[in-house]
Amino acid sequence: MMRSGVRRALAVAAWCAAASGIALADDFPSRPVQLMVAFPPGGSTDVGARVVASIAEKLLGKPIVVLNKGGAGGQVGWTEMARQKPDGYYIGYINLPATNTVILDPERKAIFGVDAFVPIINQVLDPGVVWVRADSPHKSLKDLVDAAKKAPNTIRAATTGILSDDHLAILMLEEAAPGAIFRIVHLAGAVDQLKEVMGGHVDVAFDNVGSIAPRVRTGELRALAVTDHQRSKFVPEVPTMKELGYPTVISSSTRGIAAPKGTPQPVLKKLEEVLRKAMEDPEHVQKLESAGLAVKIMVGEEYARYYSETHAQAKKYTEWAKTRPHK
Amino acid sequence: MDTLQHLVSGFAAALSPAYLAYAFAGCTLGTLIGVLPGLGPAAGTAMLIPLTFKLDPTGAIIMLSAIYYGAMYGGTITSVLINVPGEAASVITCIDGHQMAKQGRGGTALGIAAIGSFVGGMAATIALVLVAPPLAQMALRFGPPEFFALMLFGLCLVSGLAGRSMLAALLMTVLGLLLAMIGIDPVRGAPRFALDIPDLYDGIGFIAVVMGLFGVSEILLAAEAPVRETVRSKLSSLLPGREEWRRSVGAIWRGTGIGFALGLIPGIGAIVPTFMAYIVEKRLSKTPERFGQGAIEGVAAPESANNAYANAAMIPFLTLGIPSSPTIAVLMGAFIINGITPGPFLFQERPDLVWTVIASFFTGNVILLALNLPLVGLWAKLLHLPFQYLCVGVLLFCVVGAYSLQQSVFDVWVMIAFGVIGFVFRKLELPLAPLVLGLILGPAIEKSLRISLEMSAGDYSIFLTRPLCLGMLIAAAAVLAGAALRLAPQSLREA
Repeated sequence: MMRSGVRRALAVAAWCAAASGIALADDFPSRPVQLMVAFPPGGSTDVGARVVASIAEKLLGKPIVVLNKGGAGGQVGWTEMARQKPDGYYIGYINLPATNTVILDPERKAIFGVDAFVPIINQVLDPGVVWVRADSPHKSLKDLVDAAKKAPNTIRAATTGILSDDHLAILMLEEAAPGAIFRIVHLAGAVDQLKEVMGGHVDVAFDNVGSIAPRVRTGELRALAVTDHQRSKFVPEVPTMKELGYPTVISSSTRGIAAPKGTPQPVLKKLEEVLRKAMEDPEHVQKLESAGLAVKIMVGEEYARYYSETHAQAKKYTEWAKTRPHK
Repeated sequence: MDTLQHLVSGFAAALSPAYLAYAFAGCTLGTLIGVLPGLGPAAGTAMLIPLTFKLDPTGAIIMLSAIYYGAMYGGTITSVLINVPGEAASVITCIDGHQMAKQGRGGTALGIAAIGSFVGGMAATIALVLVAPPLAQMALRFGPPEFFALMLFGLCLVSGLAGRSMLAALLMTVLGLLLAMIGIDPVRGAPRFALDIPDLYDGIGFIAVVMGLFGVSEILLAAEAPVRETVRSKLSSLLPGREEWRRSVGAIWRGTGIGFALGLIPGIGAIVPTFMAYIVEKRLSKTPERFGQGAIEGVAAPESANNAYANAAMIPFLTLGIPSSPTIAVLMGAFIINGITPGPFLFQERPDLVWTVIASFFTGNVILLALNLPLVGLWAKLLHLPFQYLCVGVLLFCVVGAYSLQQSVFDVWVMIAFGVIGFVFRKLELPLAPLVLGLILGPAIEKSLRISLEMSAGDYSIFLTRPLCLGMLIAAAAVLAGAALRLAPQSLREA
């Protein structure tokens, strides 16, 4: 008696849950949707979020509110997103590979795993770039690599933070050019890199095209290589790592939107549809490109695969970073 | 020539009605903060940050800067009229200013303070225009080791100068540095002392701490104090007489020079320049016995020093990104909230913003002179407000302000907790400025230390082989040694 009562109750509960799931999808959204950005206002992720939100909310019919939860290299925001109810009303940005390395770095003790987020759509892919001061003795990537081989652990190379995509890029280059060892210096971001490289305190910076393209064009600094398969339209004269004979040194920073695990499929579909339309809008593309951000839309299978591949690659280099003798 | 051009376009923007209005609003609010006893510039500026969230960054910065130097003006009024400094830097003004008020020369004291403040502020801003751009160029020579040494020097200064005992000040500095350790490690990313509380991952929000330490604790103290009486002094004669002018002119210029020079060094704080200016006047005077009995130089010099300091402190802040006092640190927080990073590239990347803001310092100083000379009576009336209502209002503003920083109730608790802590520390006569500066500079010191060591692959000699860095480290050691040997004049240490 008891047991069948419980079973019946469970069945009813399950039905209710399913029904509410359907109902949820049907009238989703019935209230504003929050779009979390794990970085402070004014950063490039924030800029992209505000542009896409302003276009997508017209298509969605409800406001999309950008919520900045900056801090701890994104960990604060992602922790919060992982804890949200998966109903589609709280979605947020994942920044690959930063999201992956936060999960992978044991020191960070992240409370969420790689499966805590369901990727919906990618918005931006900003490839990495290796650059030096305009008067640097390193005229080409070859000069730089040769120098790092000749005197290992003396060329000071700046990242934009430990286990950032730029840090991984240095490790990739060391792997692809055996014998080359850089003295890695972790700086807080693009502005710090500019200051230290220009001041001669660091020899070379690994950063992203979006941060420095204008200064490459004015000749203030020299870009040696773009860590991508094809050249960047923002600095078309800079060769790619592939052209230079390092096809495995491919690294970039991407920004895309994801939902907490368990968000109903119909809701995800609806969000994907709306966000995709918004991102394909010429206004969106034009605004992002004027901010130096290359739009790269990936959805569904493609984005899910990119997410897991990035994770696998980040895992390899994170482990290496932790065991590398030259810290 | 480039500078002039930038400055002219800065003026064109700063004189637009909207920016003038923001500067005016900031000056008024700042004066108000200065006048209200207990609300110093640090807590006041912190409290008012949320007011500027709706403005464009330039407007927001103009208004907050105006609040900052406006509060420096306003503090004088309470010092003169009720012998209670509206903010810490006006402590010294009480001595002769209040005496003057008792003798019926309150108006003249306020007048010369306003004029001295104006001269100090203007002269320091002119010097800022001349010095800042070349300094920003030179700032590139400051690598992480030099930053580390400079900030260490700043902390040693504040430890050596603040408070009655160096031990107490050092203790507070270290406590500030310890508090700064809370949160995610800035280089390796591991959480420290965060007790698994996500709100602590980003560290303790220092703006909430400042509001607690300087705002809430002040109200707690005020609640204990007996009701004060205002000297009903004749305020009609604001302009000093011929003899008073003669005495003041030199004092104003010397005060300005002292304030400006000390403003360039991080960690000095606003109190030291005023004391220095006062002592210098007393030493130089042929009639030192008049000091303490209502000597006008005793008002003119420190007030000029105070405002010259306030504007000069913008130089290391704008060119190096180093906040040299708690209030400037709050201002830096406001810059960052608005997406602007102070530092050597600011002049290059956002010349429009920087020069508009600098031009607004000029307009702001004029506005303040106008607000203070003819309207001083109006401000004085504010002192008749029943204190109990004022307390509740200020407390309410603090709570709303702390919450709206990042819509976090946690920050409100932090503020309240530090209000109580600040109250206890003040009762124990432990200085608060070193604590705040330790908290603010802590993450930057740690980062520059660790980056320096990354640059040298772990070799500590990097600090000894760079001449600039070594020089500053020696200076830091000398300051501590000097303070330990009690070489600093007794009166300086009483600040």
